[in-house]
Amino acid sequence: MQSLVRIKNWLRNPRQRRQILTLLSGGLILLSLAARYGGGSAGPADSMLLTAAIAAGSDIAARAWNNLRNRAFSIELLVSIAFIGALAIGEYWEAAAVTFLFIFGAYLEARTLSQTRKVLGELLDLAPTTALVLRDGRQVEVAPEAVRVGEMVLIKPGAKIPVDGVVTEGRSAVDESAITGEPISEEKTPGSSVFAGTINQNGMLKVQVTGAGADTTLARIVRRVEEAQEEKAPTQRFIERFARWYTPAIIALSGLTLLLSRDIELALTLLVIGCPGALVISTPVSIVAGIGRAAKKGILMKGGEYLENAGKISAVALDKTGTLTEGRPRLTDIIVLSEEALPLPQANAAHVPVTGGHFANRWSASQWQVLRWAGIAESHSEHPLARPILAEAGRFEPVPEPDSFEMTAGKGVIAHFMGSRIAVGTNELLSGLDLRPLADAEKRMAVLKSAGKTAVWVAVDQSVIGILGIADSIRENAAEAVRQLRRNGVQRVVMLTGDDFRTANAIAQEAGITEVYAELLPEDKLAMIRRLRQEGHIVAMAGDGINDAPALAAANIGMAMGTAGTSIAIETADVALMADDLLKIPQAIALSKAVLRNIRQNVLIALATVSALLAGVLLGEVHMAGGMLIHQLSVLVVILNGMRLLKA
Amino acid sequence: MKTILRSKELTCPSCIAKIEKALKAVNGVEEAKVFFNTGRIEVQHDPEQVSGADLEKAIRAVGYEARVSAF
Repeated sequence: MQSLVRIKNWLRNPRQRRQILTLLSGGLILLSLAARYGGGSAGPADSMLLTAAIAAGSDIAARAWNNLRNRAFSIELLVSIAFIGALAIGEYWEAAAVTFLFIFGAYLEARTLSQTRKVLGELLDLAPTTALVLRDGRQVEVAPEAVRVGEMVLIKPGAKIPVDGVVTEGRSAVDESAITGEPISEEKTPGSSVFAGTINQNGMLKVQVTGAGADTTLARIVRRVEEAQEEKAPTQRFIERFARWYTPAIIALSGLTLLLSRDIELALTLLVIGCPGALVISTPVSIVAGIGRAAKKGILMKGGEYLENAGKISAVALDKTGTLTEGRPRLTDIIVLSEEALPLPQANAAHVPVTGGHFANRWSASQWQVLRWAGIAESHSEHPLARPILAEAGRFEPVPEPDSFEMTAGKGVIAHFMGSRIAVGTNELLSGLDLRPLADAEKRMAVLKSAGKTAVWVAVDQSVIGILGIADSIRENAAEAVRQLRRNGVQRVVMLTGDDFRTANAIAQEAGITEVYAELLPEDKLAMIRRLRQEGHIVAMAGDGINDAPALAAANIGMAMGTAGTSIAIETADVALMADDLLKIPQAIALSKAVLRNIRQNVLIALATVSALLAGVLLGEVHMAGGMLIHQLSVLVVILNGMRLLKA
Repeated sequence: MKTILRSKELTCPSCIAKIEKALKAVNGVEEAKVFFNTGRIEVQHDPEQVSGADLEKAIRAVGYEARVSAF
């Protein structure tokens, strides 16, 4: 009894049932051939073929019926009518061959199709299974999703990191290739972020949890890949609409043929070869494989639509700071313009830390004064350029806070401190305050900018006291990335930046970009993207995903770079590049183009097969079983072609 | 609460309706959704009445293996 139930359950599994039925009908067909050519009598051979056709056909007919109840004309319906018709007119061989080929093909399809889903499975396999948490001074092993934010987790060498978190103790190399696609391990020290699913290689790490279970970067990536694979590409939607009327049309055509020619076999053959199998899966197979492959390279695509669009990109706009450059600006120059530099209006504030060793001696006393003034003005600023100024100004003593503070986007800041007005910013900011630097000062500023540095004025009350030069080095592979973009058919590569023309030009020249738009406000960047689109380009905008949000949204494809740590970017960008690597941009475009090519090849293969078969049938050259064989082969060719993308 | 299960055995889109129906028939299940491309199964249910293991069992009863997943 027990075993009967088990067999019943086992047969309920459609995959296993189909496997059995395929073997059964295939075996019977072979036996019937042996009977016919061995014994010579047709009787037993025919009954074997009949059994084979019923065995395989019952599964097909059941599914056709199921689909019909859901008001869908399926391929199974075409095949069912065909084989029942064939049985009715005594064509047992045709019926058996057609049904066998169909379910055998379906079995192969399912197997190969699951290969294209493999990448998602690999991502899921990354999911950690246990976490070693410190609770009440003891080490407890729990499921990773049971770890609470704020708890401390121990990660042994060789272990999988179970949560997202920040290292508090220890030092180790961590293999993050699963998340970022970067093969080189990251060195982690206290303060570094770590991600669930990455592998701790050689040291013990103590990590404070910032996210566990579904609230980890890995979970977000999985979610993103899944949504992307479920989302239908425009071509796919088109084909599905097409298939909806195509199947009934084939039935009608076959009925018409029957009426006109009175040839049942011809009508049934039309049904078989009219199956749109290859066409229906032509697009999803490429998309699922392409999205999976991209995810493995650390490129997250939002879905088929974006993949198709990314394959058509003809213009790429790159943000300068943080995209073309490393995004880690350092204060490199302090130029003192007024020799009677103004001491700070505080007794000890002008104190210059000469005892601080090497770093303190980097700047002279008057340079420190310029820096201190600028630091006070910038101390509330969120601007990326404020950071290096503040970091340097606050190196030895805390920077006092201003009494009032006002930030002007794209120009700079104006602050008040103990009765003095401090302005740090661009030419425009100064002229707005009726301040004019001397001609000599302008020249010195120009020198800084021509070297690719960002330079700002520092003014206190009515005098311009200095210039600060901030350098953000260009990424090593910027020029290579731009070259690769061009090689991948991108006609226009433009740089968009809020920075000054001269600075922008210096960086652009190094990167090999000829089209530069500088001194842009965020809304100007948006307008530039719109203009490119109006000129007929499919535009990709690459930025850091936070400051460039409007421009990213306005582009056909918004690419956010280095997003492993930022959950918002993973969820909102059309294409999220997990690693901080510029070369991922041309890679993403190249892969998308490959997918687009693959889809077109598949549609072509499918259409060519169906038309060739149709012609063959009408000319009387192709019969039912042969037609089915070729049709099933075309489906496999399409799947195999799609799978090539897994290696792209 | 929402529980996510995954199955590697979905081969035909018609399986979707079958699994969804079986899950919704379980007491305490409010909503069930099956995604074909990825084999992801999302179930909205009352944890007091139905556990993850119960959901796995309900899916197994209609002939598919699925496992509860953290995400």
